[in-house]
Amino acid sequence: MLAVQLLLNALSLGAAYALVALGFVLVLNATTAVNFAHGESVVAGGFAAVLLATLLPTDIGIPGLILLPGILVITAALGLGIGALAYLPIRNRPPVSVFVTTIAVGMIVANGLNATFGAAPRTAPPLIGVGTIDMIGVSISRQSIAIIVTACVLIGGLAIVLQRTQLGRQFRACAQDPEMARAVGIRLTRITLLSFALGTAFAGAAGLLLAHQFFISPADGAPLILKAYIAVVIGGWGSLRGAAIGAFLIAAFEVGVAAISSQPLAEGLLYGIVLLVLFVRPQGLFGEPQQVRA
Amino acid sequence: MSSLLRRIFAVTASTLVVSAVSAQAEPLRVPVLVPITGFLSLEGTSQKNGAELALVGSDVAFSVADTATSPEIAINAFERAVDAAGVVAVVAPMLGTQMLALLPVANEFGIPLITVSGTAKITELGSANVYRFFPGDAVVKSAQARYAVEERGAKRPAIISQTTAYGQSGRAELERNLITIGAPPVFQEALDISVKDMLPVLLKVQSSGADALLLHLHSGSTALIIRHARALGLDIPIIAGSAMHQPETAALLEPAELNGVCAESGSSPVSEDSEEIRDFVDAYRRSFDREPDAFALGQYDGAKMILAAVAAGAQTPDGIRTHLQTASHKGLAMNYKSDGKGNMAHSAVIICYGTEDRVPQIVKRYENLTGTL
Repeated sequence: MLAVQLLLNALSLGAAYALVALGFVLVLNATTAVNFAHGESVVAGGFAAVLLATLLPTDIGIPGLILLPGILVITAALGLGIGALAYLPIRNRPPVSVFVTTIAVGMIVANGLNATFGAAPRTAPPLIGVGTIDMIGVSISRQSIAIIVTACVLIGGLAIVLQRTQLGRQFRACAQDPEMARAVGIRLTRITLLSFALGTAFAGAAGLLLAHQFFISPADGAPLILKAYIAVVIGGWGSLRGAAIGAFLIAAFEVGVAAISSQPLAEGLLYGIVLLVLFVRPQGLFGEPQQVRA
Repeated sequence: MSSLLRRIFAVTASTLVVSAVSAQAEPLRVPVLVPITGFLSLEGTSQKNGAELALVGSDVAFSVADTATSPEIAINAFERAVDAAGVVAVVAPMLGTQMLALLPVANEFGIPLITVSGTAKITELGSANVYRFFPGDAVVKSAQARYAVEERGAKRPAIISQTTAYGQSGRAELERNLITIGAPPVFQEALDISVKDMLPVLLKVQSSGADALLLHLHSGSTALIIRHARALGLDIPIIAGSAMHQPETAALLEPAELNGVCAESGSSPVSEDSEEIRDFVDAYRRSFDREPDAFALGQYDGAKMILAAVAAGAQTPDGIRTHLQTASHKGLAMNYKSDGKGNMAHSAVIICYGTEDRVPQIVKRYENLTGTL
């Protein structure tokens, strides 16, 4: 029974991390540069949930899930802003310039949230309610189930967009060969900005998913970007599937391995695996060898 | 001769007047250097607010600088701050690693630091320039351990701490105190500040057969542990560290989750009945639109002791230091007196939450635990 509970916790945490990592890769593929403001975008999504929740009538128990569309819109707009301010003006400069500008934007977002909401951790409303439901003899948290289902729907939606739509083909074309994509008439700037919007919206959704069960505070961005980065390193630089698997692996270590050893040991083992992947398969589990690691 | 004397008198008098005017133009300064951003920003903001509330309207000028979470930023902020004329003391960050880095620099400049950092080591290095206005780990962890064992009957306690310097300092004191009173911990684990899921560590607490859970964690981690412990149905007393007494921590949890949770603290301003503390709470709410905590009150008392030193004639860092080393101060939270190492606070309280609301009750006071007063 405890094993089922641990598995469920790992899946729900991994699902939220997967959204973070997928958003990170979307921007990475569009720009070949790391968006270090991505962690703060998760935090912004969490605080958007806290803010929007104050507009909900609290007495009739409206679920927090209803906030999701609003959060996607708000954080997509934030992503457009990050792309327009921190990437486009310097896109022809070395990638390190983008590192610095996105770090700066991330700090502005974090400190802006700190100044606006205060430093204290906040909690957002639960997605579909609190408490547990009994299933196959195990008490399962409603929030955990809601996180897994919501993340699956979003990831499934992204997969459909990327695989089945003209826009998705344009995303993939720009990621694989930007110059050729431009040569065949794809508007690279438009796709880049849309990547920032979509990737940041995914981060915002993760913020909503994390903010009830695990709280959210303005300083949470740095650990989250680190997790996304590690997920991408393990899964493969630029690989969406790899990023999702890497995210679930991180959650498995945080929950499963920590349960049978200790949290510091689990973290040490996780970074040991990262080193092993870098030594044995530098392109990551699902990455392509010719990709340049930023 | 009398003409010469008159001229000498006139020159001397005018010099004194100019000096007095200069002294008025250069007020005494107490820079406030605290972590307003980063993982300790909640506690650091309380520290800032407490100092600010004490210093606003006084003759002592102050400015606030953010030290974030790195020692380098703290040192840079300190060096910039003491560059100004008239600095007699500095309100220094509560982050232990920053304090440890600042101490040699403060010794070099000869500037006393007043802080609410709980890290035990800062007052164990023999510096005459550190003064702590929050009970250190040696005091509050003694209260936490004694309450768990003597009042709640714990014989097999478990400890969960943070991997930070703050967490490890408190863990060591907690373990030492538990061993001393005959209830050595049956389980211990330290968690990184970024850990989200507390189920793994709580399952290990459960399987260890622990009969009480003692926490020494930062605010968010404390609330996470309690929420997840309630969800798991872990039915043992939880006695948390000082972070739990902060109203912002309690606000993260539902009253049902808080019910029965206790915590150590230097004080709990929102729980006190005295008129003086109620006035402080009201003024704090008016000024900052939030609830005060023990860090704010401790730093308020510390800054007030600096003002008392100035009022008693101290006009230099040496004068302030002498006052801090030798005088007693009746603060709002408690009476303060240096134990010779700069530990000014020697009392602690235990608070517990009920089902009604998020305002805890003080259930036990541990006065003068070090015997200094």
